[in-house]
Amino acid sequence: MTEVPGVDPLITETADRLFSQICDHESIQNAEATGEASEIWNAFAETGFPWISVSEEFGGSGGALLDALEVLRLVGYHAAPIPAAETGVLGGWLLANSGQQLPEGIVTVLPSGSEDLLVARTGDRLTVSGRGLRIPWARIAQVIVVPVELDNQTFVASVDPNDCKITPMTNMAGEPRDTVDFNEAEAVAAPAAPDLNLEAFRFRGALSRAALMAGAIEKMSQLTVSYTNDRVQFGRPVAKFQAVQQHLVWGAQDAALARMAAESAGREANRGPASFEIASAKLIANQAAARATKACHQAHGAMGMTQEYPLHHLSRRLWSWRKEYGGDSEWSAWLGRIATSQGADGLYPLITGGSSALN
Amino acid sequence: MRFTPTELTQNELALQQEVRDFLHEELPPGSHDPCLGMAARKDKDFSLKMADRGWVGMALPKEWGGSDRTAVDRFIVVEEMLRWGAPVGHHWVADRQTGNVILKFGTQEQRERFLPAICRGELGFSIGMSEPDSGSDLASVSTKAEATTGGWIINGTKIWTSGAHENDWFVCLLRTSPMEDGNKHAGLSQFLIDLKSPGLEISPIPFLDGSHHFNEVTFNEVFVPETNVVGDLGMGWHQNTTEMAYERGGPDRWLSPFSTVEQLLREARGTQLEITTADLFGELTARWWGIRNLSLSVARLIDTGEAPSVESSLVKEMGTRFEQEVVEKLVHLIDLEYSPDSESLFERLLAQCVVTFPGNTIRGGTIEILRSVASKGLKGLPA
Repeated sequence: MTEVPGVDPLITETADRLFSQICDHESIQNAEATGEASEIWNAFAETGFPWISVSEEFGGSGGALLDALEVLRLVGYHAAPIPAAETGVLGGWLLANSGQQLPEGIVTVLPSGSEDLLVARTGDRLTVSGRGLRIPWARIAQVIVVPVELDNQTFVASVDPNDCKITPMTNMAGEPRDTVDFNEAEAVAAPAAPDLNLEAFRFRGALSRAALMAGAIEKMSQLTVSYTNDRVQFGRPVAKFQAVQQHLVWGAQDAALARMAAESAGREANRGPASFEIASAKLIANQAAARATKACHQAHGAMGMTQEYPLHHLSRRLWSWRKEYGGDSEWSAWLGRIATSQGADGLYPLITGGSSALN
Repeated sequence: MRFTPTELTQNELALQQEVRDFLHEELPPGSHDPCLGMAARKDKDFSLKMADRGWVGMALPKEWGGSDRTAVDRFIVVEEMLRWGAPVGHHWVADRQTGNVILKFGTQEQRERFLPAICRGELGFSIGMSEPDSGSDLASVSTKAEATTGGWIINGTKIWTSGAHENDWFVCLLRTSPMEDGNKHAGLSQFLIDLKSPGLEISPIPFLDGSHHFNEVTFNEVFVPETNVVGDLGMGWHQNTTEMAYERGGPDRWLSPFSTVEQLLREARGTQLEITTADLFGELTARWWGIRNLSLSVARLIDTGEAPSVESSLVKEMGTRFEQEVVEKLVHLIDLEYSPDSESLFERLLAQCVVTFPGNTIRGGTIEILRSVASKGLKGLPA
């Protein structure tokens, strides 16, 4: 019997306990108002969790990608308002894979890479100009990492946020997604490892969001089951009504589907090429988020539309994350090219074999 | 509720390859019109060939003619057969559920009599649950079995009985003692009934497209010997519920339109249609990959000795709705006036999907009933 290799149960337990203790409704609400959650971040950083899967050689915590993704799943589950993905699985990964040391604090990443920027090279230094959009928590980051394609080569550049003009912006959940004006900002840069390019970074970003989304959908589904079992109308819990049961079942299915997809993609990425699984997992998470938010909100009635009830911490994140690192059409188009190029006889082997069925 | 990711071992992958080779040999692509899922043609010769390979009743013990294989092994064989559109109709019910029921609840004599024959692919079974006045409220069945010397006398009517006109045996849920107040699940028992029994009358109920699957089966003083009671008297409801767990959540609940989609890709090659539908292929491939992983994890759970009834209900509810969604997306995207008589196999298959797939969310328990089963199991999960 084959099980997922090694999600360390201690990681699940510790991260879940940590967030249960410090990441409550009030602190999430507060983070939205102020743009940061230093208490939550400090407690999280204390454990070394942000840097799991980044080699110790470069200042990370070591360990497997699968464990890092499990932490992200729990970040999503608890709607923790912190740049967990950016610091480790994305930014830390970029830095370590270009032989650079990680700073001690928060790292963030320009999601689109250098596509819209002007990058000039003088010796081993780069200067970055232009406007970078939707950079998570740039306002409190120690370093902004920018993956750069230059002369057919990929570099990982890091810029000091103090050298940039930062305009605070948010996503629909009130998480910082800042606009950053780089004005000939000096960057430390190093060539990336051979298999790291902007496309690989895109997939990595999608994988991080799939893990976060799987956690958020699961929590949303559980909240909905418990709310509808507590809420009494017509003399009985509303969960007893068939029309409501439909929403509960649909929410639970999408939670199971998104988690299965994210974990399967994580397992594949943990050991090698996983482009098919990651693309599928992000598309599944996007669509599951759309369906599940609808079902869970409907089952909650008016209560789910209030700020005092926590459903919106999850649903607003899901609506935002759905569009980050690839929306529905980007991934279905990518998968469509892969699927049709297999031809009719190769279609089912692709479904069963995934990336290993691709050359 | 927890779906744990799993993957196929080397031995399981070898079985998958063996099944694919078998299908290439027996039903080369282009040589047959694919069947749409479990409502497949009955082809006894094909069933016998599968049985030769040990793929019918394969999870049953060797001592009864089975192969002692796992639920995952059976999943692999079923999955490949269905995605190929193979004619698995003859042995379908026996392989999926009746063999299990007889193994679990049957007498030694019943096991000897039925299991080896099931594993040889010889016997076809029908399922006798619904009645004219008992559908989703199955516990209200009223077809009666009354004790007589050496056996039972049966009177009443079963309905929607697939394949009764072609099969050999009928597993029926019957009332053996009157309904009690407050416990409608008591007093039901399961029987094995020879479909050729005197007094048993089979009348066709034509399917909406004119084809013959459904029947009404009327019992008029039908004698059934004592030795054909399955399990304990009065335990029929429990046995029946166990049986349902075997029939839910497998590949038959999400693969039915696959041959249609595959055929579209074959016919659209190099045409404008391929461009129009490319994104849809991407989306469907991802969805199938995700649902398959859930369904496979249920099979793996069964192999650890669990009865994952909530998980399998969730997968069946989702899978059958997905089957309909696939068809709707094809219809939406493709501007063709597809016809059941078209020269194009894709068009014929699509027409068949459109007409017959409304039944997918009804057969074996409507999705409304499944939601009720599943939602009870969702309560009280750890946050």
